[in-house]
Amino acid sequence: MASCTHQFDGVYDNTPVGNFECLWQTIDQKYCFHSEKDVDWQAVHDYYLPLVKGLNQDDYKGLFDLMDRMLDTLNDGHVNLYSDFDVSRCEKWYDGYPENFDWDIITSHYLTDYRTAGGLNYALIDSGRIGYIYYGSFSSGFSMNNMYYVLTEFEDCLGIVLDVRHNGGGSLENAYRLASTFILGDTLVGYWQHKKGPGHDDFSELEEMWVRKDDMLSKWLRPVIVLSNRHCYSATNFFINCMHQAPNCLIIGGRSGGGGGMPLSYELPNGWLVRFSSVRMTTTRKQSIENGLKPHLRVKLTSTDKDDIIDKAVEIIHYAYESAQ
Amino acid sequence: MKISRLIGIIALALLAIGRLSAEGTDSLNVEHENILRVHFGGTWLQDQYLSPLRYNGMQVALGNEWWQPFRHHPHWAHVGQAEVHFAWMYSSARNNLIYNLDVSGGWGAYYSWTWKQPRLQLLLGPYLHLDFAPRMHAREVNKPYSMDIAADVCAMAGVAYCFGAGKVDFRLRYLVRANLIGVDFMPDYWESYYELSEGVKGQVRCSGMWNHRLLRHELTLDIRCPHSTWRIGIAHAYLEYGKDNIWFSREQVEAVVGTCFRYRIHPSKAFDVW
Repeated sequence: MASCTHQFDGVYDNTPVGNFECLWQTIDQKYCFHSEKDVDWQAVHDYYLPLVKGLNQDDYKGLFDLMDRMLDTLNDGHVNLYSDFDVSRCEKWYDGYPENFDWDIITSHYLTDYRTAGGLNYALIDSGRIGYIYYGSFSSGFSMNNMYYVLTEFEDCLGIVLDVRHNGGGSLENAYRLASTFILGDTLVGYWQHKKGPGHDDFSELEEMWVRKDDMLSKWLRPVIVLSNRHCYSATNFFINCMHQAPNCLIIGGRSGGGGGMPLSYELPNGWLVRFSSVRMTTTRKQSIENGLKPHLRVKLTSTDKDDIIDKAVEIIHYAYESAQ
Repeated sequence: MKISRLIGIIALALLAIGRLSAEGTDSLNVEHENILRVHFGGTWLQDQYLSPLRYNGMQVALGNEWWQPFRHHPHWAHVGQAEVHFAWMYSSARNNLIYNLDVSGGWGAYYSWTWKQPRLQLLLGPYLHLDFAPRMHAREVNKPYSMDIAADVCAMAGVAYCFGAGKVDFRLRYLVRANLIGVDFMPDYWESYYELSEGVKGQVRCSGMWNHRLLRHELTLDIRCPHSTWRIGIAHAYLEYGKDNIWFSREQVEAVVGTCFRYRIHPSKAFDVW
């Protein structure tokens, strides 16, 4: 039996170098954005390996910090190293971009008296003529009943302002579900593909991603303005991509943060876990959404006593209503 | 084909096996042997989809096995088996855990050559083996699950030697089973289970010795006392399959303890304990 069995390779030692090599090779073979990131991953290996070799065998913090710095070269918010004492994270993807969000302004001027249905905070604004929803995380789910009551509250409104700024992502299922509220029929929203082999360009065929009309029975077909900023990441970024296919929808604010790869994880010999982008998602035009999506209209938050982006959304809804009359 | 449909087909096949085992019960003096077994032992796993590391740990199992000759062909008999294994395994650093649940079953038929002196029997025949083994990595968040699903046509062979000591009869038996051809579930190199929930198109493949190797053998001693029959033994199973850059292996070594019920079945379907 032993002579005809598969020779398993890639079993690493639980040493600093063994853990480093396991991490480097995992990213080398399974990470899906090598071409987008324009990083010479072999050069990264050659730079950090001598530093790892110089560590003491029990310097786990030093090893973690070196691995953190190595992963940081990817500039990917979906890349994290998890240990029992720390989690590495990349925050460079929103550095240099305006915040365009102030929760204090929103709660003092817009969400002064709001209700919560599932993960949706909602209220009537503009003297009851506009519905406003703030959805802070796609990790917080909501049901068909939740959405039914939200839309019932807004049934006399001219339009909805759907604010997903500073929503760092969460469940793709919730992103599909929210998008299906604003999409009438089955709609193609993009493509995805996974790694099919260890080479940087070894990908499967593009598979279609669809929002189904039955995912959410309550529908809203009047104008909806989605507010975005650079902190809209991962599932939020995907949701914004879906909403580009929704009729009567405009995206305003700032460029979303990206995170267009579904993260999967793998472990190292010492038990640490590395999470990284592994399944690549694209628009319907097969363009990567890793670097974020531009809004239809760029609007900045410049005031300190009001939210210019919400106000612009209200203005657009009124304009659309008057144009339709 | 969705995973749920594949599992449903396997479940129906298991039910059919159970039904088939009830066939032929309407003949006189057909001896039916049913063994309830408990297993305990060690297990070793490498699942390169879940982890690059080798895991090892313990497992327990409960099983049932039955043997019965065919009605008109006494040299032929059929055998059925159903087992549930549960294993918990640690990484070499002992800080991560994988749980494995294995539900397997099968049905086979063998031809036997029997000699009265010495009391020796040789067995040879085909066996259909069905296996469903989901696994979960306790610390993973984004990719915690993996599973083995397969249906294999195997070759089964064995030798049994009976001897007595006083009022007690013994049967020492060695059985071996190896796969020949079948189908199995094999995800792409780094395909997520989220994608697989949309369908398993292209992930169910023809399997055989070139990409899927299953070997199971056991050495058992049946001890037939005046009022009961007991079985003790040791079993070893090895499974290995994969493609390209992702491979899976599972090895188990277990002690087996069981009790045997033997009875004759009449056309009226009333059982006489024999």
